Amino acid sequence: MLVKYELLKILRKKSTLLIMAVSLILTAFLFGLPAVQYQTYDQDGVMKGMEGIAFEKQQYARLSVSLSEEYITKTIREVQKLFESPDNVGYDGKETFLIGDAYWKGIAPREKLLRFIAGTYSKPNESLGYDSLRQLDITKGAFFYQKMAEKREALLLDPARALSKEQKEYWSRMAHKVKTPLQYGYYGGWEVIISCFEILMFALLAICIVIAPVFSGEYQAGTDAVILAARYGKTKLVAAKIAAALLFGTAAFVLHVLTACVLPLAAFGAEGWNLPIAIANSTIPYPFTFLQAVLVNIGVIYLVLLAMMSLTLFLSAKMKSPYQVLVVLIPIFLIPIFLTPGNTAGIYNLILFLLPYRCAMPEFGKYISYQFGGAVFDVLTVRAVLYLLITMLILPLARTTFKKHQVA
Amino acid sequence: MELQLHHVSKQYGKKCAVNNVNAVLLPGVYGLLGANGAGKTTLMRMICGVLKPSAGSISLNGKTMETLGERYYAHIGYMPQEFGFYPDFTAREFMLYMAAVKGMDKKRAKTRTEDLLDMVNLSSAADQKIKSFSGGMKQRLGVAQAELNNPSILVLDEPTAGLDPKERVRFRNLISNFAKEKIVILSTHIVADVSYIADTILMMKQGRFLLQGERDAITENIKGKVWELLVDEKTAAEFNSKYSVVNLHHENGMVRLRIIEETAPSQNAQNVEADLEDLFMYYFGEKAEKQEVPYAG
Repeated sequence: MLVKYELLKILRKKSTLLIMAVSLILTAFLFGLPAVQYQTYDQDGVMKGMEGIAFEKQQYARLSVSLSEEYITKTIREVQKLFESPDNVGYDGKETFLIGDAYWKGIAPREKLLRFIAGTYSKPNESLGYDSLRQLDITKGAFFYQKMAEKREALLLDPARALSKEQKEYWSRMAHKVKTPLQYGYYGGWEVIISCFEILMFALLAICIVIAPVFSGEYQAGTDAVILAARYGKTKLVAAKIAAALLFGTAAFVLHVLTACVLPLAAFGAEGWNLPIAIANSTIPYPFTFLQAVLVNIGVIYLVLLAMMSLTLFLSAKMKSPYQVLVVLIPIFLIPIFLTPGNTAGIYNLILFLLPYRCAMPEFGKYISYQFGGAVFDVLTVRAVLYLLITMLILPLARTTFKKHQVA
Repeated sequence: MELQLHHVSKQYGKKCAVNNVNAVLLPGVYGLLGANGAGKTTLMRMICGVLKPSAGSISLNGKTMETLGERYYAHIGYMPQEFGFYPDFTAREFMLYMAAVKGMDKKRAKTRTEDLLDMVNLSSAADQKIKSFSGGMKQRLGVAQAELNNPSILVLDEPTAGLDPKERVRFRNLISNFAKEKIVILSTHIVADVSYIADTILMMKQGRFLLQGERDAITENIKGKVWELLVDEKTAAEFNSKYSVVNLHHENGMVRLRIIEETAPSQNAQNVEADLEDLFMYYFGEKAEKQEVPYAG
């Protein structure tokens, strides 16, 4: 009963509806934008939006394959063969590339796959296109998965990452769990979701803004005296207020996540949900499918939301007005947007990757890990545990602070 | 039912808002009188358990507020001064919400809400949002919520402030109706309100009880000190600056003065019966503020 009324208090405010509407529109716009802006090309010119997406999906229909050593070798050989004919090759003074039918029929329909293959043979931090496959010696075979492992090892040994022996072992062990040969296919919708995750931070901020008055709004309106003098004012009501805020936050988060996922999946399609994310980048050590990766990151963002809501409620119980709460809260959300990770490993980077805004970005291919004694944890686990702990520590504080509030 | 205030004090930094207050309150209507800043609101907040005393304790039937916990609050009905409402709630929703916070079961909450809204003449506005209410309607809703749980201690802080005379009369009658077999503590600086409904007067000054006693008996403190006289305007102006003038009334070119003074201010001054307003002015008037009036309580 009390939870119902506390929820009503939140929902009846015009500001709640306004903030949620703006936040949902922003989420829909930003997650829908890649579909609107999408463009691809064929010999006849550019294809935009849904037309382009439909064309791309049609091209990929032939690429739903298992990336076996034989298939990779055959694919590389096909590219090399195209380069053998001088009529197919163009040169712009810097690099050679295929032209005419050789490009439009032999490369364009599978250029993303070819870049993926070429990337596996490149050095760390080097970005290569399909033309690099021309030079590859595959007389004894492509040894694609061996090269994949070697590249990962090279990344782990990069002094800039400053990974300990335990951390290297941890990532190697995790990478071994990636099932090979990789199954390839179209994953456009999931790619958009993963690349836009940080936009959800604005939804988290909006939710926290809405719940900022849960306690401080009572102080500001002067209703604190009446409710605290009532039988359950310091007991069940506090629990109801917290429960209502968390329920609202959870429902609003689900609504935002649905908006964020449904739009790209409706536009680009849900195909690829069961494909490994390693096909987006062969150095990704996580053995997740795209669906699993998205769910795991949504789970982490939800835990960040719970912690931020707890912090908001604590500040709300502590401060005299919701505006004071926002003065503290908004910088916590917004300042990390302007902080970029350094090139070298270090405490700054390790902290930065745990800040709320950065937590929305999964960083699947960055090998960010934290070591406590001999135990190593990846960034997703640390984020989940950290924000769960923050929630567990701060939520009771919010409760106690309101209980001890003095009407003066 | 016995509410005991035992050496209750509240200190804000160096300022003592309530200073070592002792009282035993039995069922009846208590009018808490005092100038602004006398400590009335602070004392009421402490009685309602929303402000912790710096020292002393508050007990109900011999058990402290802390010992009783939720059970203490079940006895309290509180209407703070100028408290806010939830503007987007209707009057009925607000009452049902408060009933839930007070731990009332659904059925009783509904019945009591309808009864009280009827009593405070808000039945027809029960489904209107509170933001559309006038000040008087809000005050009536405020007292209705305080009465929801049929509290044995009803604390009303300045309930008639800001009301027009008609609303004030209606409000006083309401409080009288609610007061049966309860400890009602009513704070105000409108003396007339207290004199109509309070059985006992608690007069506060600088955080202390200056006087406490029955309404009729308490004025005995200034018996023989209230005078009335008819003078011309020039003399009235002189008297006004010299004495504590409680009332000044023009009558056919002359001025009738009501003065509080230890001795007759002039030969033609007539000694009259003191009322609560005289008592208030005696302790809180300009003259009393300038010179320390002895504590009589």
